[in-house]
Amino acid sequence: MTADHANTSHPTPHPTTPVGFNPVAGFAAIALPGLGHIVLGEHRRGVCIAIGVLGLVLTGLLVGGIDSVDRREDRVWFLGQALLGPVAFGIDYIHQNNFKAYDQDLLTRDPARALRSALPGEARGVNAEGLPVWRAAEPGDAKPSTKGVGRSNELGMLFVTIAGMLNLIVIIDAGFPGGRSVPDDEDKVGAKKSGKDDTP
Amino acid sequence: MINTLLAWRPIIDPLPMGHAASYLLLIPMALFISMAYRAVRLPTMTRYPRLVLLQAAQIIVAIAAIGIGLYVVVEVMLPIIAPMPD
Repeated sequence: MTADHANTSHPTPHPTTPVGFNPVAGFAAIALPGLGHIVLGEHRRGVCIAIGVLGLVLTGLLVGGIDSVDRREDRVWFLGQALLGPVAFGIDYIHQNNFKAYDQDLLTRDPARALRSALPGEARGVNAEGLPVWRAAEPGDAKPSTKGVGRSNELGMLFVTIAGMLNLIVIIDAGFPGGRSVPDDEDKVGAKKSGKDDTP
Repeated sequence: MINTLLAWRPIIDPLPMGHAASYLLLIPMALFISMAYRAVRLPTMTRYPRLVLLQAAQIIVAIAAIGIGLYVVVEVMLPIIAPMPD
């Protein structure tokens, strides 16, 4: 039996991460997409995951604007987006606090609905209590953020929500490592063709 | 169109794009999904770039096929099955 033949019949086990629960990696993955795998020592995998997940988030924000993440007005979408962890909550915090203001008329009648995005012709001001409110825009006022509508808004929310759901897979994979011990058929065939079958 | 793009403030405002251009977003979507998913699934990263491109292409072709199929159903088959009354 040649050395090559021995390698194909008894492949060297791939140095996978230990099977079981790894809370540190799990929490790291929740903190930032890809960080859990970097904590596990799989740096390249972690960077690729971060580029994939955060690339989806960035593309979503570019397409739909910051209005793509809105915990108050798009609650159902935010359920998926929240799986991104602090990234989604951070974007939403900036959106709610830096780009929205209160409708002065609704503040007394319906305070729950008073916080909203700008309507055309409005600018951000401050009322007597120090709350940010919408007022009629004057020349020289900074233009507020534009509320996303139509297809741009749909696609922006879709991109960020897909990123959140992908991140759930990433969090589970980082928190419970070792699930890659059996390669899928496609990779097995390809690895045998290239003579790089180093999987168990 | 150029003036609209020049006035665009990335991330603050939505991208001013037409309906037709929105279909092009399928390409970055498929690519980023494949990058993250393949990084999680593959036992080794030796064939990662090739498999990412392969999966992205599969997603794009599959969704384009679904789109073409639905177009044929709505625009060709339905008018034959249930023609509009004159």
